[in-house]
Amino acid sequence: MKIAKYPFAIFSAALFAVMLMTPISSISKLIWLASVDMPVGLISSLEVILFDFQRLGTGLFVILVLGFTIAFSTAGLISKFSPLGGKYLYAIAGGAAISMALFLMVELIFQSELLAGNKTVLGKILHFGAGFFGGYFFHHLISSERSYTFIIRFLGIFYAYWLFGLVLEWVFTPVNASANFGFVFNELASDAQNALLRDFTSFFMATFLFAVLGSITLNPVWFFSAGIVYFGAGIFNLMAIYAHGTEFNQIFIFEFILGAWPSALGLTILLKEKRQHKDAKSLNE
Amino acid sequence: MKIKFLLLILLFSNSAFSNYKFETVLDDLDDAWSFVFLSEDRVLFTEMSGKLKIASLSNKFINEIDGTPLVQYSGQGGLSDLALDPDFESNNTIYLSYSAKDQNKSTTLFLISAELNGNSLENSKVIFQAKAPRRSPMHLGAKIAFLNDGTLLLTSGDGFDHREKAQTLDNHFGKIIRINKDGSIPKDNPFLDVKGALPEIYTYGHRNMQGLLVTKSGEVYEHEHGPRGGDEMNRIEPSLNYGWPAITYGIDYSGAVISPFTEKEGMEQPLVYWVPSIAPSDMIYYEDDAYPELENSFLVSALVSKDVKKVTFANGTDTQESLFSEVNERLRNIGASPNGILYLLTDGPKSQLIKVLPKE
Repeated sequence: MKIAKYPFAIFSAALFAVMLMTPISSISKLIWLASVDMPVGLISSLEVILFDFQRLGTGLFVILVLGFTIAFSTAGLISKFSPLGGKYLYAIAGGAAISMALFLMVELIFQSELLAGNKTVLGKILHFGAGFFGGYFFHHLISSERSYTFIIRFLGIFYAYWLFGLVLEWVFTPVNASANFGFVFNELASDAQNALLRDFTSFFMATFLFAVLGSITLNPVWFFSAGIVYFGAGIFNLMAIYAHGTEFNQIFIFEFILGAWPSALGLTILLKEKRQHKDAKSLNE
Repeated sequence: MKIKFLLLILLFSNSAFSNYKFETVLDDLDDAWSFVFLSEDRVLFTEMSGKLKIASLSNKFINEIDGTPLVQYSGQGGLSDLALDPDFESNNTIYLSYSAKDQNKSTTLFLISAELNGNSLENSKVIFQAKAPRRSPMHLGAKIAFLNDGTLLLTSGDGFDHREKAQTLDNHFGKIIRINKDGSIPKDNPFLDVKGALPEIYTYGHRNMQGLLVTKSGEVYEHEHGPRGGDEMNRIEPSLNYGWPAITYGIDYSGAVISPFTEKEGMEQPLVYWVPSIAPSDMIYYEDDAYPELENSFLVSALVSKDVKKVTFANGTDTQESLFSEVNERLRNIGASPNGILYLLTDGPKSQLIKVLPKE
């Protein structure tokens, strides 16, 4: 089956490049913090690196998708109409896209350097390197035929990436995370604080892991598990509003979206497997 | 029907709880930033484009003052704060802070003193130029206040791109500056004997401080814009490090972590911090009696929350109340007339000066 391989190759390459880019800023900050005698350790380093990957990464992802689309389309045209081509053309296009995007962000929009890791020459070179490997990865993805599982995997990983922000908040900054859900953490009894932290952290961590495992194994059960949890959250949210009189909120809409997304992935895998099974059976007959 | 009924209830409940009435005394001001009263009727105010104006509130007549410095009006820069000399009645001297290009064509913060004679500034003199050159006019601070000993404090922001420099003493990024009225260095400044430290520095580790006040009893308070979250209000003591950006309760605009730390020994904790940000723009400590309910309160005007936070402290904890949200405008400045009547200055190209009428 032919699939929209190119857009998802751009999305995947952008996410991959983000994964390489955000630690540049994280590590530059950690080095500076250590230089002013802040107690930088493993946990605080992980907190910075992981939060930056998720929060800073989300904005960068959008910018990189735009930049890569232009750069890789140009590289595609060059390779079509000239003898130049191959993985290094896309790699250089990826590096140039990131360098140009970061340069234009400063010159045309913010007039200030938003990325801590891009303030030095070394940082600029490393960012180019992230784009270089992003382009290389893109070439790898488009070099062979891809099946629907490529899209399933990307959408599953992207879903997990989104949930990852909530996981990090509950793991590293639970007081802030609970405030976002309307709890004043310090006013809760100790038992209630414990229950809140363990249950919410477990809830988001579990659904995150379901999405990751679903993307790796392509076993639809993992995706359905995440879907059931969020559909349940949406349904019980409505019950809380209408049966138990809590204040109306619109969070149930997002809960249903978070339920529908992995369920759709699980259902797609199931239907595809069924069709493949049917096709194989008819071939045998 | 039900919605209309609820709206009616809300309307009446609002007016029942808020007895303040407002009167726009000046409008159509162009990016006004700061104001001070010369008398109950005459107010002096700055516009960021570089204009200093004097207005009579009774007849709404506005005059432009000649002789203002050439400013760099872009980004967050321009003609900023103004302050009257404590001996203004005898020497007519005022102080103006602003952003302009330095000798190397970089932007930095300047402070001048000048005599206000009629409608012109005379004997203008640059008494301080921040060693904080930056590419674009961002995070300048620029608030002025006088200590009770007659020396002058000026906030100098971190320049956005230079936040790490707020932790070192060889520059004026993210510092509160203390100088004499003629620009010379007071003999008891805290870092005079520290090698490599600039002698004007009074405190360090600040971000973009746009509230600065000295109470009648001589205590100094400051507030500063945090990034995304982490606006702070601090009590200022000489030589102390207020932590930015090594400790903060905010995250970067991009979503990135600035620091995973919120406290460290040797770095001061804020008296109050705001997450999410309210964007505090100015602050007074109300010590008059025109509004008995506000006496001995900090009044913090805010751009994002579009209100004034009344902040009081008791037993080490703060209590906050939102005031004047009916104005529903980004508030750039708050001040009191000689009789203690409060005025609010709204932000932007059509700024207004609004009088808060005391409760009946």
